[in-house]
Amino acid sequence: MAQIFDRSSNALARMSLILTGLIVIALGVTLDQLQYSPWVTRQGQRADQPVPFSHKHHVQGLGIQCQYCHTTVERSSYAGIPPTKTCMNCHAQIWTNAALLEPVRRSWATGESIRWIRVHDLPDYVYFNHSIHVNKGIGCSSCHGRVDQMPIMYQENSLQMGWCLNCHRDPAKNLRPANEVYNMAWQGPSTRKPVWCGTAGDKDGVPTAQTVNCTTVDPSQVGARTASLDMLPPTDSPETHMLDIAAHPNGAAGPTGADNVNYTKFTDQESLGLFLLKQYHIRDPHELSSCETCHR
Amino acid sequence: MKETESKAETMDTQDGMAAKDAGLKVLGQDAPVQQGTTLAAARAELDTGAGWQGLDTAAAHPGFGRRIEQEFPAHAGEWVDPVSRRGFMKLMGASLAMAGLAGCTKQPDEPIYPYVKAPEDLVLGKPNYFATAFPFNTGALPLLVKSDAYRPIKIDGNPEHPMSQGGSDPLSQGSLLGLYDPDRSQHVLYHLEASSFPDFKKALIRDLAGMPGGQGLYILSTTITSPTLAAQWKDAQKRYPQARLIQYDPVNRDSARRASKAAFGDFYDAQYLVDKADVILSLDSDFLSGITHPGFVKLSREYADRRKLMDPSIEMNRLYAVESMPTTTGFKADHRLKLRASQVAAYARAIAAAAGAGSAGSSGNWTGEQQAFLAALAADLKANAGKCIVIPGEQQTPEVHLAAIAMNQALGNVGKTVVYTETVVPLPSIQLDDFKSLVADMNAGKVQWLLMLDVNPVYSSPVDLMFADALKKVPKTAQLGSHLDETAQVVDWHINDAHYLESWSDARAYDGTLSVVQPMIEPLYGGKSAHDVLQTLLDDPSRSSFDVVKANWQPLLAGKGNFDDAWRKVLHDGFAANTAFAPKALSANVAAALGAETQPVPGDDAIEIIFRPDPSIYDGRYSNNGWLQELPNPIVNNCWDNAVLMSGPTKVKLGLAESDVVEISLNGNKVRGSVLSIPGHPDNSFTLHLGYGRTHVGRVGAGMGFNAYAIRTSATPLFATGAIFKKTGDTYEIAVTKSHYSDERGPMALWGSAETGDLRSHSLEGDEAITRGIVRYATLEEFRKEPNFAHEKGVFPEDPERDNTLFANFPYDKNAWGLAIDQNSCVGCNACIISCYAENNIPVVGKHQVKTGRDMQWLRIDTYFEGDLQSPRAHFQPMMCQQCENAPCEEVCPVGATVHSPEGLNVMVYNRCVGTRYCSNNCPYKVRRFNFLLFSDYETESLKLMRNPDVTVRSRGVMEKCSYCLQRISAAKIEADKENRAIRDGEIVTACQQACPTNAIVFGNINDKNSRVYKIKNQPRNYGVVADLNTRPRTTYIAEVFNPNQALAGGAPVEHAPEHS
Repeated sequence: MAQIFDRSSNALARMSLILTGLIVIALGVTLDQLQYSPWVTRQGQRADQPVPFSHKHHVQGLGIQCQYCHTTVERSSYAGIPPTKTCMNCHAQIWTNAALLEPVRRSWATGESIRWIRVHDLPDYVYFNHSIHVNKGIGCSSCHGRVDQMPIMYQENSLQMGWCLNCHRDPAKNLRPANEVYNMAWQGPSTRKPVWCGTAGDKDGVPTAQTVNCTTVDPSQVGARTASLDMLPPTDSPETHMLDIAAHPNGAAGPTGADNVNYTKFTDQESLGLFLLKQYHIRDPHELSSCETCHR
Repeated sequence: MKETESKAETMDTQDGMAAKDAGLKVLGQDAPVQQGTTLAAARAELDTGAGWQGLDTAAAHPGFGRRIEQEFPAHAGEWVDPVSRRGFMKLMGASLAMAGLAGCTKQPDEPIYPYVKAPEDLVLGKPNYFATAFPFNTGALPLLVKSDAYRPIKIDGNPEHPMSQGGSDPLSQGSLLGLYDPDRSQHVLYHLEASSFPDFKKALIRDLAGMPGGQGLYILSTTITSPTLAAQWKDAQKRYPQARLIQYDPVNRDSARRASKAAFGDFYDAQYLVDKADVILSLDSDFLSGITHPGFVKLSREYADRRKLMDPSIEMNRLYAVESMPTTTGFKADHRLKLRASQVAAYARAIAAAAGAGSAGSSGNWTGEQQAFLAALAADLKANAGKCIVIPGEQQTPEVHLAAIAMNQALGNVGKTVVYTETVVPLPSIQLDDFKSLVADMNAGKVQWLLMLDVNPVYSSPVDLMFADALKKVPKTAQLGSHLDETAQVVDWHINDAHYLESWSDARAYDGTLSVVQPMIEPLYGGKSAHDVLQTLLDDPSRSSFDVVKANWQPLLAGKGNFDDAWRKVLHDGFAANTAFAPKALSANVAAALGAETQPVPGDDAIEIIFRPDPSIYDGRYSNNGWLQELPNPIVNNCWDNAVLMSGPTKVKLGLAESDVVEISLNGNKVRGSVLSIPGHPDNSFTLHLGYGRTHVGRVGAGMGFNAYAIRTSATPLFATGAIFKKTGDTYEIAVTKSHYSDERGPMALWGSAETGDLRSHSLEGDEAITRGIVRYATLEEFRKEPNFAHEKGVFPEDPERDNTLFANFPYDKNAWGLAIDQNSCVGCNACIISCYAENNIPVVGKHQVKTGRDMQWLRIDTYFEGDLQSPRAHFQPMMCQQCENAPCEEVCPVGATVHSPEGLNVMVYNRCVGTRYCSNNCPYKVRRFNFLLFSDYETESLKLMRNPDVTVRSRGVMEKCSYCLQRISAAKIEADKENRAIRDGEIVTACQQACPTNAIVFGNINDKNSRVYKIKNQPRNYGVVADLNTRPRTTYIAEVFNPNQALAGGAPVEHAPEHS
């Protein structure tokens, strides 16, 4: 009786074994990659919102500050979605008949909330807190991207754990002066655009953002005074202190001694980050990447 | 729908207990598996004749239960157990879901609903705190309620209140779940059909027009605690002078009232100043267990403050307890004497005589031990005249109260350690007498309209009065109630009650300080309060309770400046400052009141029944509260059921065994309950807890336990002698959270034997706890001689050296969190456990799961019994995750789900946990809890409102445990970091610490030498439980110190070293 299988089938059998292995591996890699793909992370997806609200128009076009709507970002874990009232502050006066704003007017008239779709949605077991990030010099755009250039809001970053840890293990690379947190166009210092930072001395109980002052204008030039207005005046005599800074902008010893600001010039993110890491008392990476920081 | 569900279960079997019996028995034996049943046969078996209208109908059909047993023998019990029946459905549902959708983790779209107009003071993500008060008939408990987006999510004591100073208790803590109880009554009903409150008002006002002067209008109310409600009643009486108000609670203060009336001629409350007393005598008074005793929060704090031994200038007090059933008060006492309830009065008389107050009774037939106790006690009282207190028990007779009044007066305590004031409740009365006259009037046909406010008399009234029959003779009845309970089934009108967290009212605390009860949330189901109902009788029937309360406070705040400012301050603070009662100078003619007559003390052999409110569900009003149902009772740790509690020797002598169902007959009334032995109970005496055996209350409480009211008569509401019992041959197992049954092992097992007559027994666990140094204690004298007694070499195992470990030591250079538990202060009241439930979203698992050992409480209170279990010494030890620095659990987790934090916490990462349970096996403290089934309720809408948003709701297959309230640590860290400062001592308070009325638990940074926790841990009495295993626990315990009377030293086991016999 003739053999059913020819000798050449051996090669075929080997091939199919290898192929099966390859397919399994490919499938594994595909599934793994799928977890990081925008299909799962929703990066770049524009949700179908009831009102096609344009951050670009309101932020870049009109220059509205982030906190005008996201009022609790500095105080609470939750940045806050503006109530209909906030929209109506202006839209009771302008674009009162715009068809696009119909859901807003309906909400205002009926008292029912506008039903937005959450764009940045962390899993429920992650306890993210906006206030601590904003207070410690992490800018809005570090996580949310150039919101001022988004006609329709979308998620810029993956918001996955690996992405969070990237920064929690080395926060210095994203730290910026607290007064630049809401600056969407902030790009970090460079030789062409240096940053000068000074500290008025660390004080216990005084928020770090108020004892560190940074400016993008050379403090030895006129105009530094405007920048230093952000800084909390020392306790005793606010007026004199303001004058001190103005009088001794480059940190020369002034009458009040320790209260004076010594400005340092930074031309790269690394050195600025390390300076701020120290000044802002950022906890060390060991603590920041410990599980209980975000999960409980 | 939900109500019909529970009805179906109970109606089917008449008696809920029988149903569970059946279920439990099935668990024990292998259900017969029928082979080869045809589909037709199964259909025939399940044919109801009328078809099914849903799964509930099917479930009620006996054939269905049988099929389930055959199909899933292991789950049969769950199907019968009403709570875990839901769990079973969820389990099956979840398995189906898992099969199809495993691996698909894409999250669904989540909507955001912003405010239309945001409230001004609301910062979403940050809680608000509002002050209110928990009204209770022994005095209100002032509260501070944590509110997340205006949903109350945590209840705690108001730390600024002069009386409570932030303490709370299990009932007030648990009342949060009462608000969100999905089985609350939600509609106004007329003959169980939907109606409305205006319709009710119309009907009442129409009928009143035909009742001149309100003749025939009777109002039966729970004890009125609100001065405003009392004022409303007084107004109503002006309009309807013939109307009558009767206040009746099944557990009331009648004994104290009768005694006060007899001694002083009027109703007064006694306030005890425990902090000023060197010697305290409790006459069956359980003042360390919960707010069932008036002033619990204050009395227990003051008791504990004198026992902390931190400040050498504060002298330690000494507590004597004479008690008829084991309570935490008795076991915290330096000397405890068990006595039959019927003998306490005579014994109190004898003490009074010996202490120089009145003449001795005739029945001085005391045993040697009792005589010695009496002599030493009387001598100690006399030696400390003016610095001692006698506290009578609320569940004792007026005679005991009179004896206490006499002793306090004769010893010169009045004005020093005890003061008499106005009553905390505005309309004091002798409730049982009033109630009896009400029933008489009902039977005589005098009652035309009966309005019942927050009472359930069909369930809880004395059985001999036959209230349900009398109710049928009343033409019109209405009930204001929180649930569709037994009374709601038979009344004409049922009005759904507003929870106290939903309504305006006011109340007085133990010391008389006035508080406003302000609502935390709009009534979830449009409920009405007693104020709204009473207002119907007044000129302006639609006036809101807010207006009524505010108007009533006008005179109260007169002289405190602008009313609106003063009112706002009261609402903000939670109380009106300086409104405590001033002591009254009263002189009692006690000798005359006490009289010479004594009731004959019944013989020792007559079986005595003691009725007590349940420590968790009280008189039954908290029956449907899962947290409280699952809360282990102090001492014996049973939950979900009441039991026939008796001493071990009695059990052996009567030929009974644990779980035997006995039928108790008392004056012809019968009840069946299951036997449970409890250490330290007087012999020939059964304690029955009230509040169980509900038929209509909701999915949690219906059918649990037996109804002790069924044998409680108006003649003997406190205790009764002459019961007959019969063994029925049935068994019914009770869920006990601790290894109760191992108390029966050991060298002298099973309470000895009836044959040899040696009825002594030891607790194996207790013995081990002493030998292994789990509990350590000394007498005050020994402590003075050797302050380091807790580390005595050769007696207790020593802690190993720090470097004696295979693993690297973690450095803790910044914060290092630690917890100290003072065992001298812990009174075992369980407030911490309920607080932990609320703070950490802990699920309720149901009786069946507790029996299987799957209870989820992160914190438990271990009770160790030492010595002969007939009259042991007990040690209470709160036990939760010890946050070991050298944690055995961490080393065995294969997936890194339990890891060490830089601050020394042992943290659980729920999402990594795959449920191997190795960590739990390796934990020497047994404090890890595994979520075997889907215990968290993800479906019930109302419960979602209650959850703490800062804590993950854990799912099935995940290990969980105490985290030292990590969410509170994180919140404090973020605030401190923002303000650029260190975390202040006392800024982080764990939930258990916050609830503790005696400040037994202190949390803080042990690296900070100025912190309170460091100072406490720095005492020589500080020790770690099984720290000899080199676990280096962060939670440590402060060893107990007792203060025994030298004259009695031989009588109690006071040796701290274990006897190696």
